[in-house]
Order: sequence, then structure tokens, then C-alpha cells
Amino acid sequence: MTDRLDRWADPPLLVLASLAGEPKHGYAITQDVAETMGVRLSAGTLYAVIARLEARGLIEPLEAEDRRRPYRITMAGAQALAQQSERMSKVASVARERLSTSLGWAGT
Amino acid sequence: MKPPAAPGPTPPGATLLARAALALYPPAWRARYSDEVRVLLDDSGGGLAAVASVAWRAIPAWVCPPRHLHDRPARMRSSLATALMAWSVLTGLGLVFAQLTQLQGFTAPGHPEVRWAYAVFDGSLALSALVAGFGGLPLWLLMLRRAWREQRPRDTVYLLLPLIAPAAYLAALVVTIKLLGRPNGVGPWWFLVVTLAGFAAAATAAAGPGLALRRLQPRGPALRLAAAAAGLAAAIMALAAAAIVVAVVGLCLWARDFAGYHHGTIPGIYLALVVVAATVTTVSAARGTRAAVAEP
Repeated sequence: MTDRLDRWADPPLLVLASLAGEPKHGYAITQDVAETMGVRLSAGTLYAVIARLEARGLIEPLEAEDRRRPYRITMAGAQALAQQSERMSKVASVARERLSTSLGWAGT
Repeated sequence: MKPPAAPGPTPPGATLLARAALALYPPAWRARYSDEVRVLLDDSGGGLAAVASVAWRAIPAWVCPPRHLHDRPARMRSSLATALMAWSVLTGLGLVFAQLTQLQGFTAPGHPEVRWAYAVFDGSLALSALVAGFGGLPLWLLMLRRAWREQRPRDTVYLLLPLIAPAAYLAALVVTIKLLGRPNGVGPWWFLVVTLAGFAAAATAAAGPGLALRRLQPRGPALRLAAAAAGLAAAIMALAAAAIVVAVVGLCLWARDFAGYHHGTIPGIYLALVVVAATVTTVSAARGTRAAVAEP
């Protein structure tokens, strides 16, 4: 069930979160997302997301290094990520609160 | 920035498959991202699942191309060249229709639809040619002036082909008819030769400006006007194509002379060609017009 819920993860958000730390190229993004967020992004999904985020000005390409082009989050991307994180925090706190009152679940 | 981890072994044939998957993407997307995707596939071992995900994502890349990769002038030029070629073929097919039906006096007594279709065809063809001519004239003059000023003889010839090719064809036609013509015209085989030569002349006339568009890469209001006019001319020409379909079907159904004169499969092949040419003309012109009127 957990694996299925992972599919609901929003890939653009994962990529923005990954780039919030430092600029990364494609492979480094997939590694970072897999290690820190537990989601595997396929090559097709990653570059579909990169193209969309770049078109919206949320990330920008840097100079390519040895055919690997790093991407950096822009100010607009940071704002979008902050807003979305805020919204997700609210959802998470509501979910935790209701789980604890209705099921007595205290989390892990 | 993290250095790439040690790459896993790339499965045999995966590189070839990755190239094939990337070939499915639009050219602008490929030019921008294909190198990076290939490196990512190399770094990550490039399994078949990864290649399949790349292939699958080609569909949205065509349906919703990223806006920052959308080169509007290039789209207009490309659509204009295709629409011009398809429009010329469709016009040729229309002239064959006129020659073999209304100029032969074929009608369907008791069914005025055929005469109406002739009238709609004549009006649409003339109007479409006028719109295409006047809409494309500023762009043609602009490119011709630039080719002349920059001393580009090949581009000048390309741009003059719409005048040279029909003139050469008409001159050859007059000579052929004088040499081989009988009181009731040329024989069927010579008619076929003359028709095919006419299509070749039309294709040559249309290819010239198409090549010049690719080489000179014009931009600006003249290009937008030509793309918008091509859309209107294509829409009017689609009406002419519909009139051809109505007339030919009407003649096959209601005119025994026509049905007896023409073998049954020939009108079918002819109508299929008309529909294909009209579809290509309309779709290409619509794409160019959409790029012309889109917000910058």
C-alpha cells in the first residue's frame, strides 16, 4: 500500500526540493530523491519535469560540465516550493492530529 | 554537487534503444535535452524500464510541448512550406477535376447539386488563390529583396521558381499540343504525361519558396501575415475539396455518361488523394496560423 501511495508524490515538488539544497544534474537529482525522499524518478519522468519547471521559470540550467548539465532553483521556484511545503505541512499536521484522536496513533 | 556514482553495466543494445526512444521526441526537445538524458541513462545503467519511460514520455512532449522550446517563427516557416506544397498539389487535383468534369460538360440532369458544386469549386479555388497570393506577396518580396541585396543567387532562383516553373510548363504544354494535338485534344496517355508534368511543375513551384524559407529564415509581420493568410486560404481550399467530393460522388451516382467514361476505382483513388491533400493543407496551415496569432 505504501508503494502505491508513493506514486501520489508530486515529481515537480520532489525535484524542486532536491534542488533547494544545491544545483544538481539529472543523475544527482534522481539519487538525492531516492535517498532522501524514498522515491525513484525514472529518466523519462525526470526530464519531463525538468522541461516543465524550466518552462515555468522555476529552475534554470547552468553551464554543462562534461555533458552533465546542472540545474538551479530560481527565486520563483523557491517561493513555489515554500508555499507548497506550507500547504503540505498543514495537511500533515491535520492528518497526524486526526489519526491520534480517532485511532490513538502516535506516529513512528 | 554530487558526483555521479559508479555506473552500472549498460545492457547490450540499450544505447541503441535509448537513441530510438529519444528519436520519438519533437526536434526542439531533442536538441535541448537528448544529450543529458543519454548521459543520465549511462550513469544509471540505462535499463530497459528507464528507456521505456523515456519513450512513453515522448507523447506529452508532442501534445504539450514546453513553451520555452517553442520557436514560433520556425513553426510558421515550417507549416507555411508544408501548406504551400500540399495546397499546390490540391490545386493540381482541382484542375484535373475541372478538366475531366465541368469542362467536359458532365452534369447530372435533375440533380442541381453537381452544378452548385462546380460553382462552389470555381469560387473557392479563385478566392483561395487570391488570399494565398496577396497574403504571401509581402513575405515573398521581402525575401527576394534580401536574396538580391545579399547576392544569394540560389535563393533568388528558389524564390523565382513559382514564376519560372508554371511558365516553362505552359510553354511546353503549348508546344506539345501543337505537335501532337488532335481536334478533340491529346490522347489519354499524353493527357496522363501532361498531367504528371503539371504536378511536377506545381511541386517545383511550391518547393522553391519552401527552400528559401528554410535558408533565409525570415521573421516578423510579413511572416505572420503569410501564415495567417495560409490558414484562410487552406480553409477556403477545404471548401473547394468538399465541392470536388460532392461533384464526383454526384456524377458517379446520377450521371451515366460520367460513370461509363471513368472506371469505378479511379474516382475512388482520386477522392482519397483529394482528402489527403486537403487534410495536410488544413492541418499544416492551422498550425502555422496558431503560431502566428499566439501571444508572444
